[in-house]
Amino acid sequence: MSFLIASVKKDLARWARDRAAMLIWLGIPFLIGGMITSMMDGGGAGPTATLLITDEDHSFVSGFVAGAYGQEQMADLFLVEQVSAEEGKRRIDDGEASGHLTIPEGFQDALLNETPVTLTLKTNPAQTILPGIIEDVTEVLLDLGFYAQRLFGPEIEAIQGAIEEDGASDAFTAGISVDIQNKFETIGAKLDPLILELEIVEPPPEEPQPDYALLFLPGIILMAVLFSSGSLAADYWVERDKGTLRRLVSAPGALAGFVTGKAVAAAIVMGTVVTVTLVVGFAYHGVAWSKFVPSLLWVTLGGVGLFAWFSALQMLFPNGRVANIVTTVLLFPLMMAGGSFFPFAALPEWIANIGRLAPNGFIVDRMGVELTSATAWAIDAKSWLTAFAITASGLVLSALRLKTGFARR
Amino acid sequence: MLVVENLVKNYGELAAVDDVSFEAGAGTVFGLLGPNGAGKSTAINCISGLLTPTAGRIAVNGHDVVKDGKAARASLGIVPQELALYEDLPAIENLRYWGKAYGLRGKALVDRVATVLETIGLADRAKDVPKEFSGGMKRRLNFGCGVVHEPKVLLLDEPTVGVDPQSRAKLFELVEAARAGGACVLYTTHYMEEAERLCDSLAIIDHGRIIAEGTVAELKSQLGARDALQLTGHFPAEATDRAVEALGADIGDLELLSRAEDSLLLTLSNASRHLPGIFAAISNAGGNVTETSLRSPNLETLFLLLTGKELRE
Repeated sequence: MSFLIASVKKDLARWARDRAAMLIWLGIPFLIGGMITSMMDGGGAGPTATLLITDEDHSFVSGFVAGAYGQEQMADLFLVEQVSAEEGKRRIDDGEASGHLTIPEGFQDALLNETPVTLTLKTNPAQTILPGIIEDVTEVLLDLGFYAQRLFGPEIEAIQGAIEEDGASDAFTAGISVDIQNKFETIGAKLDPLILELEIVEPPPEEPQPDYALLFLPGIILMAVLFSSGSLAADYWVERDKGTLRRLVSAPGALAGFVTGKAVAAAIVMGTVVTVTLVVGFAYHGVAWSKFVPSLLWVTLGGVGLFAWFSALQMLFPNGRVANIVTTVLLFPLMMAGGSFFPFAALPEWIANIGRLAPNGFIVDRMGVELTSATAWAIDAKSWLTAFAITASGLVLSALRLKTGFARR
Repeated sequence: MLVVENLVKNYGELAAVDDVSFEAGAGTVFGLLGPNGAGKSTAINCISGLLTPTAGRIAVNGHDVVKDGKAARASLGIVPQELALYEDLPAIENLRYWGKAYGLRGKALVDRVATVLETIGLADRAKDVPKEFSGGMKRRLNFGCGVVHEPKVLLLDEPTVGVDPQSRAKLFELVEAARAGGACVLYTTHYMEEAERLCDSLAIIDHGRIIAEGTVAELKSQLGARDALQLTGHFPAEATDRAVEALGADIGDLELLSRAEDSLLLTLSNASRHLPGIFAAISNAGGNVTETSLRSPNLETLFLLLTGKELRE
């Protein structure tokens, strides 16, 4: 145990002097995470279409159409501004709005008399999605106006007449309301013949859905872990070239302490990197802090496993330069397949299934489960055991390689 | 203390060490001399357990290196040719680390580290990191790390390569101190003067085989009082052989060791006195001499005589 602790201290003291590497490992998740978050979130507000309306009719029906864009859920989508024809033309030409709708004079009369009328909608060609939404909504509103005219034409005419005279009295309002209600009941019986038996089922309470950017978090953290584990594994070559491995292998019974000590030191380094990134990630995405410890342990264990296998792999090559090149080349397909660049949820299922088989993909997948589950400690025992077994086998392989010739120059 | 019997280490068809045997006792320095690539480091790697011998037996302090490797290695200390140090750790931490690797703990470790720091002359720089040390200081610390656990058998693999004369002298003192402390020291080098100064006995190794073995005095006696005369130039084959034969009739102990078209190696007593006659004979034979090298009897001369080549080639 004394030699194990000495080995841990030795490696931590040596690696601590390489602060630049630590900063790079920390910088990777923040850089990538920041880019993805800015792309995904955009400040948290959804896109809003600015719709300019020029109402030249100033009627009850034209006011109803103009007001419909600001009702309920459409109010989140549209920012409606009443403007003059000139201002509307200028602003849509300057690209300051998504669309400019002109309701012509005589619109209500035309609607009530069932004569043709033209509404002009000018959209912003620089925008692709929002003008399309305005067009669709406008068509729906016009369809709605057509049916309203068919059903409630006399009532609408009466309301307009009352407004033009001296305003609607209470008695008039009550009378017209009763008429409309009666029509609704009459129509309702025709529209709702109750042919279908409806069973109203109370939907289960929905779990809060994580935001899409959160799905990137495991992959981004694993990216930092991959880089750090690959770099730390190269330390075996550093020690070999110094000749310390040769001295070590000649010491009786020191090999296990040496290899384990290096793994523990790597765990502390990677644990530090993961802690910082997790704290920021949890705080930003509002993840429950009860999931912090399992997430930290899981990713750190996975990181040590990657370190152990990278170490064993590096020791197979004829020199440190080749070993580093191969390790670096290996990192990118691993990141690509293992969910660091694209979350598994965004990939076709068959590709995601392959990615989950990659060592880092296995870690990313389970961490995603932990982050998005309703409760903490969601990673199953089988996964923990698998990670332990993979890590232990990597360490044993490293020790065997040290013992069977890697240490000598 | 250290017994090597019929050691063989093959790499495919190549025999890096070929049937090497020697013994070294406690309180002695045994030298293993030879040029680069002679098989010295391979032999050391076999003794230290880094390589498994193809055949033969090695015993360290009575323990077989293959069958009882852990016990054998516990008695071994290694001072490798390279500086096997952690340059970012203070000198004292380096010593503590390797002391712990060999099982030292507590007060025994503290006391032993303090003693070694004094011995290697780094007590006042104990808390400094080796990367701030001079080459000689690093060599001394490298030595200290090899002896911190007081090994019974100490392997020194060319410890003075690239070391300045002052540090070399200090290292010699450390080796002599280890011998005085009862350690068996195996010292490999290709510097004959080091071997002559330090070694109680030695073996000369070339192409993996021991070609001479004994004390320094015994090996020198093989040369007698003869000098080695090496001539470079142009030497017609048959005419030169006849000339040397004729010279041999005049100079009793003249011996032709090797002849090539451009070199000639002779041994004889008082060679300097006979140089004019030798040059004249070669000239008469149609040859000419462009370079002359005359060596008095020493281990280097012996190696030259045994192998026909320089030790440092």
